[in-house]
Amino acid sequence: MGVNRRSFIQYASLAAAGSAAGLRPFGALNALAQTPTDYKALVCVFLYGGNDANNTVVPFDTTGYNSYSTIRGPLALPQSGLIQLGQAPNFALNGNLPDIAKLFDSKAAALVTNVGTLIQPTTRAQYLANQNVVPSNLFSHSDQQLEWQNAAQSGATQTGWAGRIADTLSVSVNPNGKVPMITSVAGDTLFCNGNASTPVSVSPGNLGGSSCSEGAECAARQATAQALLSFDSGLTLVQADNTITSNAYSYAKTLSDAVASITPITTVFPTANGLASQLKQIAQIIQVRQALGVTRQIFFCGIGNFDTHSDQVNLQGNLLAAISPALAAFYAATQELGVANNVTTFTMSDFSRTFQPNSNTGSDHAWGSHHIVMGGAVKGGQMYGTFPTLALAGPDDSGSNGRWVPSTASVQYAATLAQWFGVSVAQLPLVFPNIGSFTKNNLGFV
Amino acid sequence: MPASEKFLLSVRGIASAALMMGALGLSGCSGNPGTATAQLPSAVIITGANQVRLGTTVQFSANVPVTWQVNGTMGGAAATGTISTTGLYTPPASIPAGAITVSAISVASGPTAASQLESILNPQPVVGSAVVTQNFSGSNYLVDVIGTGFLPSSVMQVAGANVTTVFVSSTELQATISLAAGTTTVAVDVVNPNPGAATSAMANASISSLKASQPSAARLLDQATFGPTLNDIQHVQTVGLSAYLTEQFAVPTTLLPDIATPAPTVCVNTTTPCEQSEWWQTVLTGNDQLRQRVAFALSEVFVISTNSVNARAVTTYHNTLANDAFGNFKTLMKDVTLSPGMGLYLNMLNSYKPGNGQIANENYSREQMQLFTTGIHLLNQDGTYQKDSGGNLIPVYSEAQVQSFARAYTGWTYAPAAGVTSKFPNAANYTAAMVAIDTAHDVTAKTLLGGTTMPAGQTSQVDLDGAIGNLFTHPNVGPFICKQLIQHLVASNPSPAYVARVSAVFADNGKSVRGDMQAVIAAILLDADARASDTSPNFDGGHLREPMLYMSNVMRGLGFKNNDATAGNDVVANASYNSVGNYTAALGQRPYSSPSVFNFFSPEYVIPGTTTNAPEFGQENTATAILRLSLADNLANNRISGFSVDLSATSGLGIMASKTGNAATDSGNLVDALGTIFMHGQMPAAMRTPIVSHVATLTNIPQRVRVATYLVISASQYKIEH
Repeated sequence: MGVNRRSFIQYASLAAAGSAAGLRPFGALNALAQTPTDYKALVCVFLYGGNDANNTVVPFDTTGYNSYSTIRGPLALPQSGLIQLGQAPNFALNGNLPDIAKLFDSKAAALVTNVGTLIQPTTRAQYLANQNVVPSNLFSHSDQQLEWQNAAQSGATQTGWAGRIADTLSVSVNPNGKVPMITSVAGDTLFCNGNASTPVSVSPGNLGGSSCSEGAECAARQATAQALLSFDSGLTLVQADNTITSNAYSYAKTLSDAVASITPITTVFPTANGLASQLKQIAQIIQVRQALGVTRQIFFCGIGNFDTHSDQVNLQGNLLAAISPALAAFYAATQELGVANNVTTFTMSDFSRTFQPNSNTGSDHAWGSHHIVMGGAVKGGQMYGTFPTLALAGPDDSGSNGRWVPSTASVQYAATLAQWFGVSVAQLPLVFPNIGSFTKNNLGFV
Repeated sequence: MPASEKFLLSVRGIASAALMMGALGLSGCSGNPGTATAQLPSAVIITGANQVRLGTTVQFSANVPVTWQVNGTMGGAAATGTISTTGLYTPPASIPAGAITVSAISVASGPTAASQLESILNPQPVVGSAVVTQNFSGSNYLVDVIGTGFLPSSVMQVAGANVTTVFVSSTELQATISLAAGTTTVAVDVVNPNPGAATSAMANASISSLKASQPSAARLLDQATFGPTLNDIQHVQTVGLSAYLTEQFAVPTTLLPDIATPAPTVCVNTTTPCEQSEWWQTVLTGNDQLRQRVAFALSEVFVISTNSVNARAVTTYHNTLANDAFGNFKTLMKDVTLSPGMGLYLNMLNSYKPGNGQIANENYSREQMQLFTTGIHLLNQDGTYQKDSGGNLIPVYSEAQVQSFARAYTGWTYAPAAGVTSKFPNAANYTAAMVAIDTAHDVTAKTLLGGTTMPAGQTSQVDLDGAIGNLFTHPNVGPFICKQLIQHLVASNPSPAYVARVSAVFADNGKSVRGDMQAVIAAILLDADARASDTSPNFDGGHLREPMLYMSNVMRGLGFKNNDATAGNDVVANASYNSVGNYTAALGQRPYSSPSVFNFFSPEYVIPGTTTNAPEFGQENTATAILRLSLADNLANNRISGFSVDLSATSGLGIMASKTGNAATDSGNLVDALGTIFMHGQMPAAMRTPIVSHVATLTNIPQRVRVATYLVISASQYKIEH
């Protein structure tokens, strides 16, 4: 058991006492930082399994659509079912994303195209000549999920970029925080883990503490149960679980106290929609941000089953049809709470899928993908980055199956979001050690 | 005292004046002078029988028929012994308080009688056999003596010294003794007191030590089953760890039945509840515990999920894993590959040869290598990564090889229904292995691992066998699979040496067979690292109980019963066990419902902020920790829907919690009993003391039991199986 997964209470105490710069892990860099007076939140929506970007954003001009349709064959979406973007009329969104199209056209959402994991700017020729210039284990779900989340060149890096933001900023921006900077409503994930900071996980709709059926005895029972957590047996895993459980007791009390007497958000979220439930929970926590003592928060939520090796058009369509109203409701909730300009939501995913269909009406693991960024601060109604040339063995294909070599690095995408959140240019290398390999550290979409 | 008690009965002449305690001389009582010559038979001593024949006639002046009395009562009585009309005397069950006089009364002469003073002595004890067995807590030994002539007042002697003796019956005595370590035999005899004090001959008792300590047996069951029970712990202690594994290897598979067609009412909308119920019923109650536990581990390596697979195919798939759990790994690879469940999940089912502008579906071929056989990077046999001269990890396969395997696996579809001509694709068949349609198979040449090529023009079957054979022989398979099995069964962080020892067995079971699963399983469970905590409880190993194992362990340990099963209802048709999964679902698990082929957690998961590899912690966070506390509360409070557990004052734990009336003593015994089931009998004092102190304050006995149970099963010390 390392000291790094210490309870946040200890961490917060350290921060509270730490007006002397020496007590701050990054004191030198934070010396000029001030506790912000505004509030900002980043919300990551992870699309597990590798969302097919090729059927998320589709060329709509006649030449572009026809070329798309010819190669995609059985996976090609009929042009009549697509939703043309008013702000980018040569492109359309999947017909199951009507709310996203509206947000795009109202400039509350943007698209960032052909983003993927990279070590350095890479071309097709460079990739074909030397595959060592790219991150390890392209096309592997687990590795690419980790690499998107840790913004490193392999999954072996054990901190996520949100976790490193928390390491870098927590002390200065959330000095009175009663909960960690990062909240996951979708379980533990590398994205949220820092060196010194750990997230709070909550289950949507269930912020309270554990149940107890012993009536008047409950308080005493909990006291003894908590006392047992302080017994250090020297067993690594027992200690690790003691720490998690101690934090759990503490966070559950803080969160349930904070939401005890709030007015419920009136924005209606879709029902029977797991992502919507998660986003609704996030909105509720944002609502009580002052009670939690935080000025900066990062949230993680997710939705799975994008690994559409077969029956792709239906399966992906259903998933996008869940995402669209969930994101729209969340944006509306931030408007209701008066924080639409303070909350920026963005998607990540393992990778995109082969442009070339497989023989099973599906597609396989690929690389560069398109992503959605949403929020009042987003410079919306625009497509950022370079849209790939949709040609097999074409200039953007890493091979011959339509696995696009990213023209924008996921680390650039992440660094742009981080800078809006409050990471300074000077701090960027702490969070994104590899950012210097790319000319632009800010894509300007927010 | 049972009627079969054996007495030594001394029958003595009237003249005998040397009367024993309990005997009183009494002369002939008749006034008839003719009786003076009458006599009963002379003294008879009978051992080993419980009746004495005194005759049907008595020698007066001539043999005359008589009737019989004991102490003046015709036929006698239970307390004094009875005598039949034919003079058969049955002694009383115990030594009588007063004298026994048997009288024979002449039928012809009326009151004419002969009386005889009878003296009843304690029997001669005889030791037939003596066995000394180590008791289950391991601290001392039980001496069990079988013989004859034993009394409540008998005293056993061990090595010539009296020991506290428990009278079981006239043929069995027991005593609990302590013995010096290494003692192999002891001399045992039995002493009966007066009247008739007697000592048996000495018998040499061989000492039967238990074959496993309680911590060792309980821990093995924790590693190898869905949860120890007291009976199973004692059984493993008796037969030993290795013999237990051998027994379990021989237990036939508890097969999940195919879900009926049409589906039972409760499964009309979706068959998943029926499949889930069958699984829980099997793991909670099946006798093939080790097989099912290994199958469960395999199901978290060879993942399929009801998220996208019909539950009818899942029951079939589970049976495949359970049947193959004790076979050869290559058979398992092949059966998994051709199972309709896996075919559906990773799309090898109906994967058609790629046409122009298409590629073969790579889903199965990629994940079979990445997750089921080799992993992504070359491994040493101890499970650590190989590195190239630049310190980089070395890939096992290329994208081109993924596509080669994908093409090798084209052409398979459901098995045809009986009497239906097979075609591509066939109609759904969730119970039979997939079949090949060669016209749907890609016949181009394929380059496999290690540069092995399969020529163009081979059939689906030949290509499939070639592909599986190629993977099976890859050196990564042993360490890749064995390390994960160790993680699932024993410890999250096995030492490289432990992995290497098991990998060596995978490579060769000692009989030049690769992939022998029984040998691998035994090597994992009997390895010194797996057993280290048996004697060193602070050995830093173990793993977090994942939600489904946590649930099954507590339910089995406490003895939860399914209400439908208790009532004799059709639990399969009612899906009566399905509700269990509702409780684990809150913690992120149901059987066969992983969110993806990457299982509920990654074998490489590292606890944040540490370098500690701990797969199950992928589902342990501040949200699920709270939910598990709530689950512990439900379990300790008998709030599992459709199930019942008895934690009342009259339950086993309840009796223990109130037996002496001394709260501290009773609470200590209660917590120790919980510790035997849940903590391998090794609960640390720093955990035991606060729990005992706490529950000793509770005067309501069921609550004392519930709270003690909760505090044990909610503790991290229990959650981490170590």
